[in-house]
Amino acid sequence: MQVRVENLTHTYNAGLAYETDAVKNVSFTVDDGEFIGIIGHTGSGKSTLIQHLNGILKPTSGKIFVGDTDITKKGVSAIEVRKRIGMVFQYPEYQLFEETVAKDIAFGPKNQGVGDEEISVRVREAMALVNIDFNEYSQRSPFELSGGQRRRIAIAGVLAMKPEMLILDEPTAGLDPKAHDDILDMITSIRTNTGGTVVLVSHNMDDVANLCERIFVMSNGELVMDETPAVVFADEVKMKELGLGLPPAREFANELARRGLSVKQDILSIEDLIASIAAGLDCHASLAMTATDLSLRAKRGNPEDTPC
Amino acid sequence: MNNTIINIENLTFEYNGHDVESVKALNKISLEIKKGSKTSIIGRNGSGKSTLAKAINALVLPTEGRVLVAGFDTRDEDRIWDIRKTAGMVFQNPDNQLVSAVVEDDLAFGPENIGVPPEQIRVRIRESLESVDMMEHIKMAPHMLSGGQKQRIAIAGVLAMHPDIIIFDEPTAMLDPEGRHEVMEIAAKLHKEGITILNITHFMEETLDSDRVIILDRGRIALDGTPAEVFSESEKLASLGLKLPFVIELANGLRAKGFDIPQGILDETALMEEICSLGGRHAG
Amino acid sequence: MLRDITLGQYYPGYSVVHKLDTRIKIILTFLYMISIFLVGDFIGYAIIFVCLAAVITISKVPARFILRGLKPVFIIIAFTFILNMLMTNGKVLFEWHFIRITVEGIYNALFMACRIIFLIVGSSLLTFTTKPVKMTDGIESLLKPLVRFKVPAHELAMMMTIALRFIPTLLEETDKIMKAQMARGADFESGNLIKRAKNLIPLFIPLIVGAFRMAGDLAMAMEARCYRGGEGRTKLHSFKIRRRDIMAIILFLVYVAAIWLERIFHLQSLLF
Repeated sequence: MQVRVENLTHTYNAGLAYETDAVKNVSFTVDDGEFIGIIGHTGSGKSTLIQHLNGILKPTSGKIFVGDTDITKKGVSAIEVRKRIGMVFQYPEYQLFEETVAKDIAFGPKNQGVGDEEISVRVREAMALVNIDFNEYSQRSPFELSGGQRRRIAIAGVLAMKPEMLILDEPTAGLDPKAHDDILDMITSIRTNTGGTVVLVSHNMDDVANLCERIFVMSNGELVMDETPAVVFADEVKMKELGLGLPPAREFANELARRGLSVKQDILSIEDLIASIAAGLDCHASLAMTATDLSLRAKRGNPEDTPC
Repeated sequence: MNNTIINIENLTFEYNGHDVESVKALNKISLEIKKGSKTSIIGRNGSGKSTLAKAINALVLPTEGRVLVAGFDTRDEDRIWDIRKTAGMVFQNPDNQLVSAVVEDDLAFGPENIGVPPEQIRVRIRESLESVDMMEHIKMAPHMLSGGQKQRIAIAGVLAMHPDIIIFDEPTAMLDPEGRHEVMEIAAKLHKEGITILNITHFMEETLDSDRVIILDRGRIALDGTPAEVFSESEKLASLGLKLPFVIELANGLRAKGFDIPQGILDETALMEEICSLGGRHAG
Repeated sequence: MLRDITLGQYYPGYSVVHKLDTRIKIILTFLYMISIFLVGDFIGYAIIFVCLAAVITISKVPARFILRGLKPVFIIIAFTFILNMLMTNGKVLFEWHFIRITVEGIYNALFMACRIIFLIVGSSLLTFTTKPVKMTDGIESLLKPLVRFKVPAHELAMMMTIALRFIPTLLEETDKIMKAQMARGADFESGNLIKRAKNLIPLFIPLIVGAFRMAGDLAMAMEARCYRGGEGRTKLHSFKIRRRDIMAIILFLVYVAAIWLERIFHLQSLLF
């Protein structure tokens, strides 16, 4: 399923001083199975943008095609759209309300009119996808579980609707590092298992750089970049201008390059960085450059013409 | 002894939850915190770190053992207000700790509670707002501010009570990177001004400039030392489900590749210089 | 959605009316409302109208802003008007089937409509020119003498303060949960009454759980900031009666005298 957005603009009720989020003239196409990251400063319009994709917000102008349907048209069933595009909001654990985990996960499919038997199959599947043991937890109250577990269950509640596209708004916010990694691993495995499209909104440059195939950069409601992570993070000046950083490994690599050390130009992860520094140091050693040569290069600050 | 501002002796705290068995959130913890120091407390969710913070503020009382803050025992009811005045606390959720619909009035809340005269409250509001660089927002409503700004107001609210200690209980967990940075800058500044800082966090990068890092695990102290000492125990940290700070991970990775990087580098620039000098050494 | 609701009718400004002591403003507004009921004819209303118009002009709150405040009560005004017009006996002006309109009916209808409008405009002027936070302080201060009779003045004021602070936060929370449940296919808009009420459960439960969490957090934060009730507490905003407050009281007395004299001499009957 393809999702196509054409000239989407959303203006919030003017006159409300505290409303700054808005979307201006955004267009893009997302193809089946892509892994998209959306980054941008707080208030850049990320949340407003994604809330249009499943029809929670209606655009002021512009069109949104989900498959072949223009969902901005009157008479398009909201349920149909939300069945195809699943949305996990920030801190989704706060939306749990049922007595048992299983009932809560069943809420979505039930609203879709899925039959009871099918629902129980879906609950099992969804719980398996989020790594929560069905036998142990399905009859427990969601309120007595840990924060990380509750979040997984909330995500399972969306997965049980079998969406073709899964949108996650900062799914790791407020979690400790281990739970953070677990959620990201889970998202990767969901993607391999379901083959669906994933859209990840995040403030963590390291995560989007290493997980996503394509990154949307939002600023002041506009889509200012739509590129691969390598291209997006190559433009250090622009990223800093937008109030966004680089993945720490890239930042470090750039700084090393400025100091005249040869490192690769497409580093995004710490593993890349370690390998590249190692290769660079070995290369320096084998070339047996004179110290003056090296310091000269450092002064020029141009890593392009290092032979390594 | 005079130099110690918080003294925790054999502290055990049990939650008498709705479960049959009570849970030991803190298990025989003994700690001394030096006046003017900056201590980071790390641990996974549920390791007991927030309970420890609340125990210092007399928000929870020890099941066993005792907690002394500036010499006052937290179990002494007559001293509870002295303790809370001495040890201010900033909580995790920026929305749920501001009391009033106007910034100015919120900052007045603490001083009002301890009976500071109105003219002095005004002076304190001004001073503390300037300290967190939020003077221009004095008449604003908190819900119009960003998460980072709300936390700065919460810090100012604590400063207005003239505390000796500020306990930060995961103040950056719900913030974006910018807000996180703002709050940590202020914490560093206050530390420089002589306030004892306790920062409870799960962001490893925030702990590198502390004098001391304490790792809690299931209610016990798992590691305790300078950042360099604690982060040299990479295997133990991994087994506790914690991640190393970027610099340490990088240094470890290079060391594993056979490069001679000394232990204890906590600063990116220092590591960079080390790598460059390695390049130079190899070259020379 | 829900965030679009603007709460609190405060109109920011720096006029004398804004600056008046809140307690004086509350008392005068209260007395003004009583005075409306003392007036028996349209000459009295003319006096009220002139005085009210003068205060509005001084307050610099735009008239259309005030008139907008009448919108929600328009139905009540219209209803009172029609009821009075139809139900009063007297000299018949117009008759059609069972509908009979009398001169006295029209007079009464106009009279009652004016009374409601004056009541609402006058009291809304209080909220337009007083910050909610100040209002809370004012009410606390006015109720203080009643503490002797077990009126929890400080507690009431604290409740109002917290309510003012958390209403926007709770609205935002409601908005978030509503969107999240809608994304899971929840339907808040269709069905009969019972079905709709049932459909609200996925909204209300998380909201209530959230409110409890919020309350727990806040209580702890307040305790950590040494809150222990109203005893031994100082207040940042202490009230002080200034010259402008005395002036306001004197002018109000003049207004009362005018109303009183008009009532005694019944000027309207002299005119007709």
